[in-house]
Amino acid sequence: MIARFTRMAGPLTRDKSDTLLLLLASVMVLFPHFGHLPSWTSATVCLTLLWRAAITMRGSRLPPIWLLLPVSLLAMGGVYLSFRTLLGREPGVTMLTLLLTFKLLEMHARRDLFVVIFLSFFLLLTNFFYSQSIVTAVVMVATIIVLLTAQITFQYTGAVPPLAKRLKLAGRVFLVAAPLGVLLFIGFPRIQGPLWGLPGDAASGSSGMSDTMSPGSMTSLALSEEVAFRVNFNGGAPLQQQLYWRGPVLSRYDGRTWSRIGQPQSPRRLVMLERQLTWTGPSYSYEVTLEPGRRQFLFMLELSEPLAHVEGANTTYSDELEQLVQANSDKRLRYDGVAHPAYYAQAGLDPEALQTWLQLPQGFNPRTLRYAAQIQALRAEKGDDIAIGAVLANFRDHFEYTLEPERLGHDAVDEFLFDSRKGFCEHFSGAFVYIMRAAGLPARVVNGYQGGERNPVDGYYTIRQSDAHAWSEVWLGPKRGWTRFDPTAAVAPERIRTSLAETLPQEAPFGLQGLSKLARDQNSWLAKMRFGISAVNNAWNQWILDYNPSRQENFLKELAAAFGNWRLLAALAACAALALLARQRWTLHKRDPVDIAYLAFCRQLARHGVTKAPDEGPLSLSRRVRQLNLPQEKIAAMTQFLELYGALKYGAPSAQKDNPVARLNSLLKQSR
Amino acid sequence: MLAATRRWLRGWIFQLKEKEPGEVVLVMRRVFILPTRPGIAFVGLLLIMLIGSVNYNLGLGFVLTFFTGSCALVDMYLTAKNLAFLRLAPGRAQPVFAGAEAQFELHLKNDTPRDRYAVWLGFQDEGEPRQAVDVASGGSSAVVLSRPTKERGWLAAPRVRLFTRFPLGLFGAWAYWQPDLKVLAYPQPEVSAPPLPTSGAAREDGYGTVGLDNFSGIRNYQPGDPMRHLAWRQIARLHPADGGNLVSKHFEGGAVSDLLLDLNALPPMLDIELKLSRLAAWVLEAERRALPYALNVGHREIAQGLGEVHCAECLRALALYGKEGA
Repeated sequence: MIARFTRMAGPLTRDKSDTLLLLLASVMVLFPHFGHLPSWTSATVCLTLLWRAAITMRGSRLPPIWLLLPVSLLAMGGVYLSFRTLLGREPGVTMLTLLLTFKLLEMHARRDLFVVIFLSFFLLLTNFFYSQSIVTAVVMVATIIVLLTAQITFQYTGAVPPLAKRLKLAGRVFLVAAPLGVLLFIGFPRIQGPLWGLPGDAASGSSGMSDTMSPGSMTSLALSEEVAFRVNFNGGAPLQQQLYWRGPVLSRYDGRTWSRIGQPQSPRRLVMLERQLTWTGPSYSYEVTLEPGRRQFLFMLELSEPLAHVEGANTTYSDELEQLVQANSDKRLRYDGVAHPAYYAQAGLDPEALQTWLQLPQGFNPRTLRYAAQIQALRAEKGDDIAIGAVLANFRDHFEYTLEPERLGHDAVDEFLFDSRKGFCEHFSGAFVYIMRAAGLPARVVNGYQGGERNPVDGYYTIRQSDAHAWSEVWLGPKRGWTRFDPTAAVAPERIRTSLAETLPQEAPFGLQGLSKLARDQNSWLAKMRFGISAVNNAWNQWILDYNPSRQENFLKELAAAFGNWRLLAALAACAALALLARQRWTLHKRDPVDIAYLAFCRQLARHGVTKAPDEGPLSLSRRVRQLNLPQEKIAAMTQFLELYGALKYGAPSAQKDNPVARLNSLLKQSR
Repeated sequence: MLAATRRWLRGWIFQLKEKEPGEVVLVMRRVFILPTRPGIAFVGLLLIMLIGSVNYNLGLGFVLTFFTGSCALVDMYLTAKNLAFLRLAPGRAQPVFAGAEAQFELHLKNDTPRDRYAVWLGFQDEGEPRQAVDVASGGSSAVVLSRPTKERGWLAAPRVRLFTRFPLGLFGAWAYWQPDLKVLAYPQPEVSAPPLPTSGAAREDGYGTVGLDNFSGIRNYQPGDPMRHLAWRQIARLHPADGGNLVSKHFEGGAVSDLLLDLNALPPMLDIELKLSRLAAWVLEAERRALPYALNVGHREIAQGLGEVHCAECLRALALYGKEGA
């Protein structure tokens, strides 16, 4: 079999090897698409490519157009059946892959070759809809080089150099182009997309925080290591315990599900709302990069000043102090915030308005209501703080934190508080707010993320889905307003210092306890590597994938600041160009060291009275040197010099080995 | 006026020169470059890719677009460099008979460290260049461009256009060169010309039986003996190193009375070109039969002789009859 194959392969004619190279380039372009193409398309593409390879190897004719046309029409029908449309991104990419594959079967002229290569470049771009990772970038560079090699290969008219040499040439083209590409990437004026409405399928359906909270809604997030957003603090960062990233605020409860009631505020109302926010402590400014996906909220460090404007998104602020954002998106969103961990929020709410946060569904949780009555009595007796403290103390003393709680029935809060006594943030915050309301204190649930992992390499905080958290807010009278209480912290204080999943006893990898320790220990080499990779990933996201107009503007400003101004930069560039030119000129006119040595030698001879005639060669000079009245070794050195000079200047190139110029110069010194 | 201005402008822009004797170096100023049709299509592709990247906010899309765009620019540079600093030199140009293809040999030398590939050459007035050649670094290549000759006399090489698309084919660079090279076109020999105007025996017998067949023996070779008279069979018997000698066949009656090819002796009503054609045919015929002949064209007389040099001299005299540079 192998023998047969090698016989088939044999020495390839130029045409065959060129076509195979083009096929290889197309495979490199098409292969990454197999991950998201319908399976029948992948199969068709594979089969067609194999067919094309077989045609090339056998040297048979390409299929006629009357065969290709129905097949491609059939494939188009298939695309329609798969997607129920021919428009949009996915069907478009599918059609393009099929187009490229069939075009490979219909190549007759030089023009067709360019069509194939250009199509390949475009398909390479469409792959970025699905992946823009560093690996993808590396594959992209390799593919570009192979494509360029194929393009170069078809330009040769005479002898074709071996593949390695052509690859080197293509690589060199790419390397020379790279600095220019980087400059263009940095400096080319960017426009904020999209230029037109994205087709509906643009946003990918990755998971995110929902705007309701019902039993189990958090568990799906808890185990996801997906990055939710990244934060960079400009200057100092607050303590880990203060990192509450505020998301949806849930004020309505129907006995099972907590949901939002917040309304976006008009600019005029927003001004009034801002007046009810008082900042007392230090402020922290930070920049958030929100990962793409389903989104409704901009997560802000509690409590941040309302954002009026975010580039690339429509943002509004609600009366529940939520920062809302419109549109899911498949691109990252960057926004800046200023947070004040010490604040008084909406202290001046009037009692009527407060009724909203006291409502409870009828006919649920009788035992909790009885417990709340005791708390209310305690409140009346000793004040709000003592009463709340009692509830938290109860949680701390009698409750257990688990991510695998028991299923709860009709009176969910009752069953949690008095029977199972096991749960996690959603149970604790929900039950706490229920008790508070029943005890006459306005309260609500706040969802968001808590904490985040600081990367020591670049200082960025990474907040993952597993950092999702739910806490509570209680309105404590006209002086203090909305105040945060985190009942989960009372039960599992370590939860607040570390992330959600880490508080749970984990399965050791491969049953080895040491490994699990390694995985969690911040100082282990594994963790260091993980941080390193994460930092690289983040830099990739920040500088390559999210290099948008505003970032470009900032970066160019920074550059301009670093270099004084653009004029200086231009002058520098001009100077560099001049220097380069001068160097080139100089090397052009640079004298051969052999000539320089010979000239020096002739000057020496002139001192001894032997002047070289313009038409005199080294041999004749040598004859005259021998007649000079000089020490024997000097004459020997001189004749040797002339001999070597003659060999270097007029001899075969093989004579010029082991640094002849140095030897020439040493002989010159000896004859002095 | 306008046409003249346009011609002058064209000549100035493209540095069109008259004959340039000796070697010519294609400096950058002489190399011109424009995108090819695929190159223009490639710009369109880059635009589409850019718009796609903006619309879908594809960071890597920008990288791809800018890097491939830069590759195209590098291609432009390399294409120009593929032509620039080539040294061009005219080669030999063998005389031909009018009506045949004149062959112009051109040398391309490359003393730069870069190999040159796929350099197309052709005459400027012929449109698409027809010949492609590679010139390795430190080497040289020869190209023969041909062009049909229509009439006798000198035919100067037309202006040559060098063209290359290497390496990526997105740009086409070209340069013009007027090689200082000319081909001599001999008069076309008359087909079925009358027999040679031999005097003496031939004239009496009516047809030239000049005793070529009357083989009388062999003798030692003497310089001037026609090649076709060498007695190969005898020569082959003994190797020259072993004392063998070149020997010639000797013919009886070979030394017929003078064969004079005289232009003035031809019937005066004949067209001058036809006369020259007939003389050319006779020269070839005499040469073929190894009959020494003399030529008399107008003021130019060529003494009796035989052999390639003599033949070339005679044909040259015929070719340049009545032309400048005779």
